[in-house]
Amino acid sequence: MQKRKIIRRILDNITEKLLTISGAVTGIAILFITFFLFTEGAALFQSPQVEHGYALYVNSSNPVNTLQPEENKAIFDGEITNWNELGGKDGEIKIFRIDDAFQIYPESELGENYELLPAKLGEIISKEENILAFLPTQYAPQGAAVKALTAKNIQPKDYFLGKGWLPTATPVPLFGVLPLVLGTLLVSIVALLIALPLGLGVAIYLSELASDRQRRLLKPVIELLAGIPSVVYGFFGLVVLVPIVQKALNLPVGETAFTGSLLLAIMALPTIISVAEDALRNTPRAMREASLALGATQWQTIYRVVIPYAKSGISAAVVLGIGRAIGETMAVMMVTGNAAVMPQSLMESVRTIPATIAAELGEAPAGGAHYQALFLLGCILFVFTMIISISAEIISKKKNYKAH
Amino acid sequence: MIEAKNINFYYGDFHALKNISIAIKPNTVTAFIGPSGCGKSTFLRLFNRMNDLIENTRLSGECLIEGKNIYDKSVDIDALRKRVGMVFQKPNPFPKSIFENVAYGLRVNDMGNKQFIQQRVEESLKGAALWDEVKDKLHKSAYELSGGQQQRLCIARALAVAPSVILMDEPASALDPISTSKIEELIHELKQQYTIVIVTHNMQQAARVSDNTGFFMHGELVEYSDTKKMFLNPNKESTQNYITGRFG
Amino acid sequence: MNKRLSQQIAFIIFKLFGVLVVAILISILGFIIVNGISVINWEFLTAFPEEGMTTGGIFPAIVGTLYLIIGSLLFAFPLGVMSAIYTHEYAGKGWIVKTIRMMTNNLASIPSIVFGLFGMALFVNKLNFGDSIIAGSLTLGLLALPVIIRTTEEALKAVPNTYREASLALGATKLQTIKKVVIPAAMPNIITGLILSIGRVSGETAPILFTVAAYLLPQLPTGIFDQAMALPYHLYVLATSGTDLEASRPMAYGTALVLIMIVLTMNLLASFMRRKLEKKRSK
Repeated sequence: MQKRKIIRRILDNITEKLLTISGAVTGIAILFITFFLFTEGAALFQSPQVEHGYALYVNSSNPVNTLQPEENKAIFDGEITNWNELGGKDGEIKIFRIDDAFQIYPESELGENYELLPAKLGEIISKEENILAFLPTQYAPQGAAVKALTAKNIQPKDYFLGKGWLPTATPVPLFGVLPLVLGTLLVSIVALLIALPLGLGVAIYLSELASDRQRRLLKPVIELLAGIPSVVYGFFGLVVLVPIVQKALNLPVGETAFTGSLLLAIMALPTIISVAEDALRNTPRAMREASLALGATQWQTIYRVVIPYAKSGISAAVVLGIGRAIGETMAVMMVTGNAAVMPQSLMESVRTIPATIAAELGEAPAGGAHYQALFLLGCILFVFTMIISISAEIISKKKNYKAH
Repeated sequence: MIEAKNINFYYGDFHALKNISIAIKPNTVTAFIGPSGCGKSTFLRLFNRMNDLIENTRLSGECLIEGKNIYDKSVDIDALRKRVGMVFQKPNPFPKSIFENVAYGLRVNDMGNKQFIQQRVEESLKGAALWDEVKDKLHKSAYELSGGQQQRLCIARALAVAPSVILMDEPASALDPISTSKIEELIHELKQQYTIVIVTHNMQQAARVSDNTGFFMHGELVEYSDTKKMFLNPNKESTQNYITGRFG
Repeated sequence: MNKRLSQQIAFIIFKLFGVLVVAILISILGFIIVNGISVINWEFLTAFPEEGMTTGGIFPAIVGTLYLIIGSLLFAFPLGVMSAIYTHEYAGKGWIVKTIRMMTNNLASIPSIVFGLFGMALFVNKLNFGDSIIAGSLTLGLLALPVIIRTTEEALKAVPNTYREASLALGATKLQTIKKVVIPAAMPNIITGLILSIGRVSGETAPILFTVAAYLLPQLPTGIFDQAMALPYHLYVLATSGTDLEASRPMAYGTALVLIMIVLTMNLLASFMRRKLEKKRSK
């Protein structure tokens, strides 16, 4: 008897400890996520601008000591062809890659394990004054006339303000997130501009005008639609909305920012409707009756009393809607065309942050600069949604003129 | 002059008011008393058609105000409600400033310009004996007032649109004794200009403020007469029982 | 009369909005159902995809999704329920609980792709699970956690305090009260939360992209460290990156319908539970 009691007390003790631990674990889960995201992401700024394991070399007589990522891209794209455009002497830039060495020297001259390659490369660089050699550091050229360009790490400025997102460009990938951030904001905000008036209108209809029977019929349908997976919406967008947008607006392709906004608006409607409807219905009956008893019409009552009363709830719906839209991945990815360029118009293809992560993470080698850049995108997304969710919380708590 | 003729009212299948007829003289206070659920509030809400808001209800009979049936199809409900003001059981000011609460009825009915509204708000607050307490904080939230002040604000709000009848649905039931006596004093004064119908479960209150009293039970108007007579010498036994507190 | 007219105009607009939105939403459902219903048959549900995913069925995707549902909730359900019991029944109203609650609230607002990133970094790479059912389940479980916590807390809140007081007054300990009185009373609501999170977990694509989902597998997974196919990712593949997109359209419609059916079933089940509960309460 006594023994059993003790065992039970011990078991109870363990259970209570377990409960405490569970509470703590879920509480810190978000910190854990934040920590991982940010450590992986921040490592990007310790990565060199030039592709991992490679470096750029020039002849030591060349006055140029360093190149900006954009300059590099322009050189390898053939847009900059002369050293004088970069502050050097007049002379055509001669690009040299490791493969070119094999055309000059037969493999037999390079040694069994290419141990002679560095010396040969040094020779080539010394001979050619205007050379720009892009070589693996493993075979760093040797010789007095060789100068390595200083390898700067990727700068936060280049990342957050850069206008080009070319993560797989060689030798210098571009990680400018501006087009992605603007694409995300464009698609989300336009979606909200479409969804908000519609959603509010339907919420007012449901809470104020619809009969009980209509409401009982419509509420579950709207709830159900809020639960449909986004990939299903994306599929619908792809096979229905994209062709419609293309034909109706006479565009070359239907995969545009506008299509994304349209689809996001449809997806956001159920959430906006149900949150706003709840807020409207929370307006006490006494408020409505007081207004009607003073001779106000039903519509006057709605816009002068009910909507002001529900204002904070409605704003919370709006903010939640933005949060959803910004983070939505699959559906947007399937209908916006995913061109990583600065958005010029609604009728062109754009790429959002979540779509970029989803599309590229699979190909980015773990630990590389591209991988880290994608994690940093995740951080941006995380910060966006945190700001939004905290402001939603503040808004829904703040109730001006609210009775205690 | 308010007159109800053979009123029957149903919530779904429930017969809430049974064949009630009554006549109320202008510039009097009429009290409806009776145990809870007896139909007195339902009956009161017929006079400004507040029951229209409740789904699945049915009405037969006539309800005349100044000789016109207010349930006639041609009646403009908003205009009717403007003429027949109402004060509710719990104070229910809008989440707006004190000034805007009183001005609300004027604004929704497009009554007068800014100056007129200002003047009318002041008059109404004075009429509800609240002016001196709030004149320095008209633009503060109505929720900063005490419960009793809030209820007088609601009365001022009803007065502002210049109704001829004021319906009061247990206006003091949520208030403390001091606030209650202030409201009762106010009712006494308002009688000069308005016809007042008040529902109360408090018999002393009915005795104090009203000229005539109607006693309701189980959806029937058991007795309706001069208040003094009703309390001193009721005709029906059930009235006697209720007044002397044998049930209810 | 002026105010009458403006009311009429406003109400007509709202009605139009209502009709428009309902028409859009119904047409989405209708579109998937009409196109998908003819595809679904026994073979579709039980066969492997064939000929570049243009015929055959989606059996491995169904099985994979089933594994993921079980795996994620096996981890998230007990953890979520226990954590909710802790914050609701044990922890006081101090700043610790407030912080925990705020954090779980914010957990719910994190986009699902971010969960995918985290899952890949921690489970796939750091812990070296690789693309596997366990990595995907843990990631999805994390996503379901806030849903379960919130519904459980609400369920506990709905248990009247008089129950707790009655039990404590009889000399029961706090834990006994929770085990014998509070949890049984809250159980139906907790189960409702579980059902809803099944709907959520089965439809998520972004978190499984890099943690478990496989493009096409010739056989079913045999252990928790195997990759698996999953319905939502399979639909994405069929819609955007199959070998012959036109030919695999019917398969895509069928998969979309199966996904909708899962959500629909879970919603119906949840509302059925709720209604049953309400009936029981009103007795």
